[in-house]
Amino acid sequence: MAEFSWLPRSPLEHALVVGACGAREVAPGISLTEIRNFDLIQIMARRGKGAELANAAKARFGMAAPEVPKAVSASDVTLIWSGPDQFLVLSKGGKHAMDILSQAFSQSASLSDQSHARALISISGTKARAMLAKLSSLDLHPASFPIGAAAATSIDHTSVNLWRGNDRPDGQAVFNLLVFATFAESLWHTMLDAAAEYGVDIGHSAEV
Amino acid sequence: MRIVCPFCGERELGEFTCLGDAKPVRPAAGASEDEVFDYVYLRDNIAGEMSEHWYHGGGCRAWLKITRNTLTHEICSVEPAAGAGARQAAR
Amino acid sequence: MKYSIFSLARAAFSGHKNWQRTWRDASPKARYDVVIIGGGGHGLATAWFLASEYGIRNVAVLEKGWIGSGNAGRNTTIIRSNYGLPGNTGFYELSMKLWERMEQDLNYNTMVSQRGVINLYHSDAQRDAYARRGNTMRINGIDAELLDLAAVRKMMPFLNFDNARFPVQGGLLQRRGGTARHDAVVWGYAHAASALGVDIIQNCEVTGFVRDANGKVTGVETSRGKIGAGKVGMAVAGSSSRVAAMAGLRLPIESHVLQAFVSEAIKPLIPNVMTFGAGHFYVSQSDKGGLVFGGDIDGYNSYAQRGNMPVMEDVCEGGMALMPMIGRVRLLRQWGGIMDMSMDGSPIIDKTPVDGLYLNAGWCYGGFKATPGSGLVFAHLLARDEPHQEAARFRLDRFRRGAMIDEKGVGAQPNLH
Ligand SMILES: Cc1cc2nc3c(=O)[nH]c(=O)nc-3n(C[C@H](O)[C@H](O)[C@H](O)COP(=O)(O)OP(=O)(O)OC[C@H]3O[C@@H](n4cnc5c(N)ncnc54)[C@H](O)[C@@H]3O)c2cc1C
Ligand SMILES: [Zn+2]
Repeated sequence: MAEFSWLPRSPLEHALVVGACGAREVAPGISLTEIRNFDLIQIMARRGKGAELANAAKARFGMAAPEVPKAVSASDVTLIWSGPDQFLVLSKGGKHAMDILSQAFSQSASLSDQSHARALISISGTKARAMLAKLSSLDLHPASFPIGAAAATSIDHTSVNLWRGNDRPDGQAVFNLLVFATFAESLWHTMLDAAAEYGVDIGHSAEV
Repeated sequence: MRIVCPFCGERELGEFTCLGDAKPVRPAAGASEDEVFDYVYLRDNIAGEMSEHWYHGGGCRAWLKITRNTLTHEICSVEPAAGAGARQAAR
Repeated sequence: MKYSIFSLARAAFSGHKNWQRTWRDASPKARYDVVIIGGGGHGLATAWFLASEYGIRNVAVLEKGWIGSGNAGRNTTIIRSNYGLPGNTGFYELSMKLWERMEQDLNYNTMVSQRGVINLYHSDAQRDAYARRGNTMRINGIDAELLDLAAVRKMMPFLNFDNARFPVQGGLLQRRGGTARHDAVVWGYAHAASALGVDIIQNCEVTGFVRDANGKVTGVETSRGKIGAGKVGMAVAGSSSRVAAMAGLRLPIESHVLQAFVSEAIKPLIPNVMTFGAGHFYVSQSDKGGLVFGGDIDGYNSYAQRGNMPVMEDVCEGGMALMPMIGRVRLLRQWGGIMDMSMDGSPIIDKTPVDGLYLNAGWCYGGFKATPGSGLVFAHLLARDEPHQEAARFRLDRFRRGAMIDEKGVGAQPNLH
């Protein structure tokens, strides 16, 4: 049998070019950062096991999993609401990887490993809301979409999970976005088009 | 038309797909040909308030049961369809 | 009055001040041999064929608003006969032949323009499907040409050929297809039918049926009183289920909204009618210069005669994908009409289980092109009590018999046809 060596690669490997993009005469209004190397597990309660899942989540993560569209974080993990009785577990470094979580939730939930099935993009900067307003129908005003708010929604006809992380040290809001790997490139180009007029600073990072 | 998803909140119509009239119930196995014909092909096609199934495919992917006025597009009520959300189903 | 070069010249000499009404706005009589419900294209054409072809002139067309206020005055005016399934192929070609002589038949300028209809294809599979459809048409004596990329490029050099996500590979062309002026078709049939004695009665809404002891329909209740009828024909398009319900019938039909759009006028650009094969978009250019375009139905039941934003967005995206330069053109108007979507996407022209009541419905988004054909075969059914040979498959019981005419092959899900 042939030997394969599977090299995990970002779905944005070709589309993402590190550096400045769009308007140059202004300070970049948008930062687009792809986060690489994360674990992402989708957890869905089995029929009638919602309460059991809630207990198991609390035991495992030391905090309740969100039951409404929100994202909650502990030091090494973020739990993102993705629908009724389901959430995503985002982490780094194998601590909440599939084999470990499947033990913890085997009684109450069905799990699927989405680690290499999604791209994770972080959007921030003074013009982040202005850019997202061109593409998203959600009201992202701080009063309606505060830190920790989350949404399963569509951007440019593409399903995404969008949530607001902690603000940057300079006080700017951060919007995190998960998109299916095969749609990532298309959405990336759409976002670049929308962001170009504000000047974009493109990068990638291994820090979740 | 905007729809207030009971799980996600108010969203634009483009995130949803309409399956149609929620009233027809699939006949039991062994039902008569008349019953099956009626279920598959005939519709009340109501002009007024109609109960429908919608799918929030561009959002939380829950099935919803919506009462909507087909004359005005006014949405009168939205609730999870039977089986949407495991905990809902268990109740 | 009869229209000719002389009547035009005479009217010109008197400063166009002495034109007379093209048709008579009648008041209801107590009884007619045939009452047609619905003053759209189909109802009026049926009345004219009854009078001209079948010698039945004691006929009324009852319209709840004004004639042409429904889909007849709301459609994007495309006429074609490029259907692929037995039943449809022959019927739509019959209709096309009637379009080709309509202006002479009616003595009315309906602006029939055989500028060609081209369906673009963007993949090998789509080409094969169109080749098959084109062959079906040709076997049935209908014109069809499969164009390759070079031929399409020559005909429409302005399309996005080089930088498109779904590049155009060619198209299926029916040169005899094209457009006709929708209002003029309504007025033309009204003109010709009225001249033969047909009463066209506006602001007359049918609110119920009069039945005798055996259940036979013997007339209609209307907002202008009771009107007796030997036979009653329904041609109410999007209102079919509502009117049928007055006779206790449920139909294999759902009513859905379809939108249309017109841009500001621009110089001549689009030489024909064309459809995008990789999305929902079709377009032609009116004689006034506006781009007339549309796409898919909205997808939910509606009687509201207006649609919503997602479809508008989808249609504009389709247009932009095909011809990016139209992004600079401003949209002038947009509206909706109510489609009688049948369970297989094909029409129903048949007697109903109720004695004396006849049905003409299920036109979906494509009944304008059917107007003359529908009028002829429905008149035949009303006059002879048996289906016209070209409409023999459009039976109401075909769903029960499993004899669907489903061009798209999607089954009993009307919002997918
Ligand atoms: C946006 C749009 C685009 C379209 N584009 C095309 C196209 O390009 N090509 C094509 O072939 N087809 C097209 N169609 C479809 C076509 O317009 C219809 O299939 C066709 O017009 C239906 O037949 P009609 O003209 O008799 O209907 P209508 O004009 O709708 O006539 C029905 C009439 O019945 C009347 N009525 C209803 N209820 C009652 C009552 N109770 N009493 C009395 N009167 C009543 C209504 O007021 C109406 O005037 C399009 C439709 C729409 C809406
Ligand atoms: Zn939802």
